Amino acid sequence: MALQDFTTSQPLTLGVELELQLVSTHDYDLAPQAEDLLRVLKNHTGDWDVKPEITRSMIEIGTSIQRQHSTLVAELRDLRDQLARGARKLNIGIAGGGTHAYQHWSQQQIFPGERFHYISELYGYLAKQFTVFGQHVHVGCEDGDKALWLLHALSRYVPHFIALSASSPYVQGVDTGFDSARLNSVFAFPLSGRAPFTLGWDEFGKYFDKMTSTGVVQSMKDFYWDIRPKPEFGTIELRVCDTPLTVEKAAALACYLQCICRWLRETKPFEPAEDDYLVYTFNRFQACRFGLDGEIVDPKTKERHRLRDDILRTLARVDEHALDLQALDASNLIRESLFEGNDAGWLRGYHERGLPLSAAVEAAARRWMALD
Amino acid sequence: MPTPVLAASAPAAAASAPLWTLDGLRAADPVLAIALLMLVAVVVAEVLHRAWRLPRICGHMLTGALASPLMLRLVDRFDLDPWKPLIDLAIGAMLFELGTRIRPRWLIDNPWLALSCVLQSLLCGLLVALFLAWLGAPWSAAAVAGTVALSTSPVIVLAVTHEARSRGQVTERLLLMVAINAVIAVVGLKVLRIVLATDAPGDELVTALVSALRVLAGSFLLGLAFGFALDRLSPLVRGTPAMPVLQIALVITASMLAVQWTLSPLLALLVAGMTARARMSHGLAVEPHLGSAGAVLNVLLFICLGLLLTLDGFWTIWPWVLVIILMRLIASGIAIGGLARLSGLGWRQAAGLALALQPMSSLAVLLAADSFGWAPQLPGVHGPTLQALLVATTLMQLTGPIWTQLSLRHLARETNPA
Repeated sequence: MALQDFTTSQPLTLGVELELQLVSTHDYDLAPQAEDLLRVLKNHTGDWDVKPEITRSMIEIGTSIQRQHSTLVAELRDLRDQLARGARKLNIGIAGGGTHAYQHWSQQQIFPGERFHYISELYGYLAKQFTVFGQHVHVGCEDGDKALWLLHALSRYVPHFIALSASSPYVQGVDTGFDSARLNSVFAFPLSGRAPFTLGWDEFGKYFDKMTSTGVVQSMKDFYWDIRPKPEFGTIELRVCDTPLTVEKAAALACYLQCICRWLRETKPFEPAEDDYLVYTFNRFQACRFGLDGEIVDPKTKERHRLRDDILRTLARVDEHALDLQALDASNLIRESLFEGNDAGWLRGYHERGLPLSAAVEAAARRWMALD
Repeated sequence: MPTPVLAASAPAAAASAPLWTLDGLRAADPVLAIALLMLVAVVVAEVLHRAWRLPRICGHMLTGALASPLMLRLVDRFDLDPWKPLIDLAIGAMLFELGTRIRPRWLIDNPWLALSCVLQSLLCGLLVALFLAWLGAPWSAAAVAGTVALSTSPVIVLAVTHEARSRGQVTERLLLMVAINAVIAVVGLKVLRIVLATDAPGDELVTALVSALRVLAGSFLLGLAFGFALDRLSPLVRGTPAMPVLQIALVITASMLAVQWTLSPLLALLVAGMTARARMSHGLAVEPHLGSAGAVLNVLLFICLGLLLTLDGFWTIWPWVLVIILMRLIASGIAIGGLARLSGLGWRQAAGLALALQPMSSLAVLLAADSFGWAPQLPGVHGPTLQALLVATTLMQLTGPIWTQLSLRHLARETNPA
């Protein structure tokens, strides 16, 4: 199967996907009720989309194509309210967070569907362990070449998004010490990590052909890269974020990405190079492990910076773009969150107060559903 | 503690018979007899479970039925009365646990579900009563039978959901509906006593009305008090093995006080469980059956339910029995199916829920009683109607776990295959 042409889309348009946890209101463990919620939401109003995910305790929502922060956050709030209403009707909770704190992977059930069963057959227990929840942000690009340029230029900022969105400190009831343990699950997949360094769509097509000829991949969906091109949408898709605990944070992260993309496209502060990836996995690890306190290495200058400071500097650089994109509210929320701490710290706060993990999950569900 | 009476009631001639003969078993020490029955029950349950995947409680009840006057006559029904406090404790533990699973807020969030719950109960009672009256039962007896028949057995449902480890929408609704229809049955029986007393002089009607209100309010307050008590006492034993002990001690106390003050233990324990959950939230850890001691009592409970089974007069009253069973199923189907879409349920799930609600219960009648006899609890009720109710209960108790398991596994698909 050949790589399809890159669909043209309006540059810097946004689309946000959120994978969400469905939890029981009894014990706050994952509840296999995706089909029930999808049925209740079948006649929802709004241009957003809701669909199943690999296991029956997950759903994925996707916004319509958005251009600016105010309409994005409005749509996310509308879908949150409708989802919350549906969930209350079914006596379940919906929560953000990159992992469920204490679910047991072996108890998860694969959602009935051809692709999910194919993945389950192919990856075995990894598929059930993939009950993790991420935010994906699509950014529109006019052509494949520009998309690949942006994809590799953004690689330096991947740790920002990991640290800012990190909300998965707990796995199987244990504090992993990581702010984002979710990405460790993603790493287990053979086609995860970074995309190959190709800056032209034709060259990327040759790589894709080689891979399909090996039989290892069948479509772009089989690549679990941190950022991957999505030719059918005409976008690049950032996939490293944990699902934040609020839709407001999700919108702010998307718009922070939009601002960086605009700054990169318009000022071209550097040219992406293969050597940028020398520090990529180190920086990525620092962001996953230590969150905003992690230290990253600048691939160009080789200087070390604390992630929090690097994000602050980047926010200052992209401020005028935030103004032009009407995304100042988003950048302010990101700036505030640097001092308040990420969602992983918020979740740990519950446990540190001596409360059981179920209390943290309930609080996360109440926060996502805006019940407090 | 129960008074051993089994030996006293056994024929003197059998006392010297060896233990391995039927006569020997009939004359055995009652504690030994029950212990042997439990041993057999565990083995039978396991064999049936492995061979045909039958719920284990079917094996327990079947063992009881084998030992009952129905089959081998090892234990007489009246011999069970001294064991009743222990059985009540097992039921109480499950009702308390059921209470902790209920989140009343759901009924406000989903009013169609609330309507479906009430409609299911009322329609069951109404259809059973109407058709029994059509078959010739006196109105009062038909009404009493309808009220008893509207409830589903909470202990069977809870035991099956535990064993099947089911999670999902049907399971949650099943537990909620079971709790609600049990309460409606208790309240209904109290109301019926008032209605039936209208033929009596005015003073007695007022007395009956006051008595019913006292039972309802008293049971509610008692449950509330014990829920608060558990909340207050739990911090003392949190994280220690004494937690289930504390819960069992409070369940026994609440249950005994409810019986002593002629309140409804069923209502009191459900309210206690709901109060404890609301007050303690994540601080309340409730093990299935309140731990291993509760699990032992549970086996005993289902053996005793088996011992109480009766099919006397089945061949003469079978149309009545059929009416009770069929009307319960039809009423559940109409109430749940009619409001399925509005309340957020799929058709297949609605069918599953209606089927899962079929195990019948004798708790509404027996839990507040001193003995296992139905007749003293329902004085003046038309004999054949009462017998039809007993036989229907027998059939739907013995086969009930199978329907519930079948529904959760194959219709609702909520049991975990792992």
